Amino acid sequence: MTPLHFSYYSAFTISIMGLSFHRTHLISTLLCLESMMLSLFIALSLWPIQLSISSFTLTPMLMLAFSACEAAMGLSLLVASSRTHGSDHLQNLNLLQC
Amino acid sequence: MTPYTNMIIIPSLIMGPLLTISSNHWILAWTGLEISTLAVIPLMAQQHHPRAIEAAIKYFLIQAAASTLILFSSITNAWTLGQWDIMQMSNTVSCTILTTALAIKLGLAPFHFWLPEVLQGTTTMMAMILTTWQKLAPLSLLVMTAQSLNTPLLLMLGLTSTIIGGWGGLNQTQLRKIMAFSSIAHLGWMITILTLSIKLMLITFYIYIIMTMTMFTMMKLLETNKISTTMMSWTKLPTMNTMMMLTLMSLAGLPPLTGFMPKWLILQELTKQNMIIIATMLALSSLLSLFFYLRISYYSTITLPPNPINFSKQWRHKINQKPYLAMLTTLSITLMPITPALMTTT
Repeated sequence: MTPLHFSYYSAFTISIMGLSFHRTHLISTLLCLESMMLSLFIALSLWPIQLSISSFTLTPMLMLAFSACEAAMGLSLLVASSRTHGSDHLQNLNLLQC
Repeated sequence: MTPYTNMIIIPSLIMGPLLTISSNHWILAWTGLEISTLAVIPLMAQQHHPRAIEAAIKYFLIQAAASTLILFSSITNAWTLGQWDIMQMSNTVSCTILTTALAIKLGLAPFHFWLPEVLQGTTTMMAMILTTWQKLAPLSLLVMTAQSLNTPLLLMLGLTSTIIGGWGGLNQTQLRKIMAFSSIAHLGWMITILTLSIKLMLITFYIYIIMTMTMFTMMKLLETNKISTTMMSWTKLPTMNTMMMLTLMSLAGLPPLTGFMPKWLILQELTKQNMIIIATMLALSSLLSLFFYLRISYYSTITLPPNPINFSKQWRHKINQKPYLAMLTTLSITLMPITPALMTTT
C-alpha cells in the first residue's frame, strides 16, 4: 500500500473512530462527519490524477455539494437540539430509552 | 409545513430511493441515499418536540455515517479495480465494509440500537415511511451486489437480527418500538436468504412492506401507540379490530396467513442447501416474535368484548377511514394460495 493510500485510509479511520467515540458534545460528532467527508473528497480528487481519466474530475465537486448539504442539516439539528434540550450535550438525548 | 416546502421535500423523498435503485454507478447510488436522508429529516423534525428532534438527530448521524462508509468502500474498490460499476464489486474488504454499512443503514443487529428509539420519537405515518420506503434503497444495493457478498457474514447478521428482534421486543409496551423489533426480525430473515435466492428475498420484502403498512395504518386509525390503549379498539372499529388480530398473526408467520409464505419458502431453500442448524434457529427465534404479537392481539381482540377496560381516558376523534386499508388488509391476510403465481412473477 503506497503512503498515499495509507494516509487516506488512516484519515478516514481516525475520523470514523472520532465519530463513534464522541463523549460530550454533538458538534464534535458533526466535525468528525465533516472530516470523513474531507478525506473522501481528497480520495476522489486523487483518483482521476492517478489513473489519468480527466473526465472524472467533476466528481469531487458533486460529493462536496452533497456533503455541504449534510453539514447544513447537521448544524440545523444542532440548533434544534439547543432549542428543545437546552444544550448539545449528548447525555441529554435520553428521552426515548426503552 | 407550507406547500412550497412540501413541494420540494416530498418529491425528493420519492426520488431518492428511486435514484439509488436505477443507478449503475456508485456515486449516483450514494447521491440517492443522501437525498433520501436529507428529505426525511425535516419531515421527522417537523414538530419541534424534544422527542422528535432527538429521533431526527439519531437518525441523521446513523444514516450519514453509513452513507460515508458506503462511499469509502466504493472508492477503495475503484482504486483497486479501476471501475465504479455496482454489479462488479470484487474487492473483499470493500464488500465487507459495504455489508456493514448497509447493515447500519437498515438496522440489522448488532447495529440495531437506533431503530426502536428513532421509531418511538416520530409520528406513526413517519415511522411507516422509515420502515418501508427507506429500506428500499439499501436493500436494492444489497440485491445488486449479492453475488460478491460474503455469505457467512450475511448469515451471521441475519441470524443475530432474528434473535435480537424476537428477544428485544419481549419487554416493550409501546407499539412503535414493537414494530421496530418486528422490522429487525423480518430484515434478518431477508438477509439470511440474500445470497442463496434473490427472488425469495424480494418476495419477503414485498410481503413485509404490505404487512407493515397495514399494521401502521391500523395504528393510525385507532390513534393508539401503546398496548394498553389497544384495549379500546373494539369500541372504535370492531371489524378492524378482528383484522388487526389477523394481521398480527400474519406478521408472526402463522399459516394459513400470508406471512407464513416467506418463512416457509426460506426454510425450504435453507434445507435444500443443507443449512439445517440455521434454519432451525431461525424458526425457533420466530417463536419469540410470536409472543409479543400474540400479546398485542390478546389485549386488543382476544379479551372478548364487551370487556372491562382499564384505560378509558382517550379522546375520541372522527375516524377518517383510509381507502387503501381494505386492499392492504386483504393482501396481508389472504395472499398465500397464489404463492406459485408470485414465485413466477417476481
